[in-house]
Amino acid sequence: MPHLKTAYAKYQGDPNVAFLLISIDEDTARLQRYLTEMKFPFPVARAAAVDAQQVMRFDNIPSTFYVDRDGVVRYQIGGNESHGDSPARVSWFIDQLKSR
Amino acid sequence: MHRRRFAMALAIVTAAASLSAQTAAREQLVRGRSLWDQRLSKSAIAALEAAARDRTTAAEAHEMLGRIYIFKGWQQENVFPGWHDEPSYRARALAELRAAVAADPARASAQEALHLAEGFAAAEKVDPAPPRDEVKALDAKLESYRSAASAPITDIFAAIEARAKAQADPAPYFTGAQLLIDRGELDRAIAMAERGAAASDRFIDENLSAYQMSGKSQGSYARGRATAADLIGWALFLKKDDAAAAAKLEEAARLSQSQDFVNQFHLGELARAQNAPERAREHYLNALSLSGGPPPLRQRATQALSAMPRRASDASFDAWLETELSRRRDERKAAALKSLVDRSLPKLTLTTVDGRPYDTSSLRGKVLLLNFFASW
Repeated sequence: MPHLKTAYAKYQGDPNVAFLLISIDEDTARLQRYLTEMKFPFPVARAAAVDAQQVMRFDNIPSTFYVDRDGVVRYQIGGNESHGDSPARVSWFIDQLKSR
Repeated sequence: MHRRRFAMALAIVTAAASLSAQTAAREQLVRGRSLWDQRLSKSAIAALEAAARDRTTAAEAHEMLGRIYIFKGWQQENVFPGWHDEPSYRARALAELRAAVAADPARASAQEALHLAEGFAAAEKVDPAPPRDEVKALDAKLESYRSAASAPITDIFAAIEARAKAQADPAPYFTGAQLLIDRGELDRAIAMAERGAAASDRFIDENLSAYQMSGKSQGSYARGRATAADLIGWALFLKKDDAAAAAKLEEAARLSQSQDFVNQFHLGELARAQNAPERAREHYLNALSLSGGPPPLRQRATQALSAMPRRASDASFDAWLETELSRRRDERKAAALKSLVDRSLPKLTLTTVDGRPYDTSSLRGKVLLLNFFASW
């Protein structure tokens, strides 16, 4: 997930873009430790794992959704993307949606 | 004496002002008409609305607006990809044409258009507008260069420009880019595809529907950009710049959600050239599992696959291919049914990390990245 922090640097302070991490952890203490360690610059929320996977229809964890201004899901990326040029890919998706 | 001279001067000034307003209105009218010929609706309507405010051009401008709204209301179904009739324009068509007739009761063409609109309003079904002869002829001219290998390149450029001037959609740029690629004019092809991408965005902006479902225009933008990215990527591949080619071809794949035959074929060719047979195989199979694509390219993809080594236990090539393709088609169908892409974000109950209700109101209207994760 460090790639999200890198990608976010470009949008920090942009009123038209928001990042939200949603944890499906059950172990709160473990999640707290992780968040303390990672110090994410954007908000983190929680959802029940079964709920989230059913409602958002994903199998892969993590899964990333890119949602446009009208609240429509435009891209869904399953699995870990933290390899290679992933911050560039993250901002590519966001820029696509911003430019419309 | 003084007073009279002043009055006369005033009369001249007023006359000059109204004359220049008339000239401006006439210019707007001409501009609006030419913009509409190119199917640049938004700008055409703005110009014509300005012309409709001047008494001297009101009848013509209202008639022109009425004719545009007739097209939008009844006749634009599938005239371009993603275009649909917009019934909300029907009442506006009638209102504009009535305003045209009121402004100039003797105007025969306005009365004719009003009758047409009233007829459409009463009809069960109205056929979409046929392609215009002028545009059809220019398209045919451009297409003819596919088989005219010795034609001078300046003729191709002239044909592209002529077609682009007649109608503002991106098709001539994309056709032109392909023609230039076929002739090995790779840098010019890349520049042409870039013009196509810009034309595509503008054409969509100009013709956004008033009540379009948000998904529609997004898809149209992506289609134009994907076509441009694939053409550019393929030209870069032919220039032997594999790294830049990969970036563009993969961008096209993201935009088309890996569902474009030609793009998947191009990615297969790139992977083969990069000596990555597994990746090449995936792309060729993806391509063939999609419909569309010109038969010669389908044949080349099949040949490339048959030349690749397979495991000894595999059945005959044809049987293997059929199994692979139907598996991909089934997977794609299942994924499409399941995916949230192009659907509204569903309601999901969120809490803060310490368990209080999470307020999502600040996220509304923003481009949003949602990442579901677990720390394990």
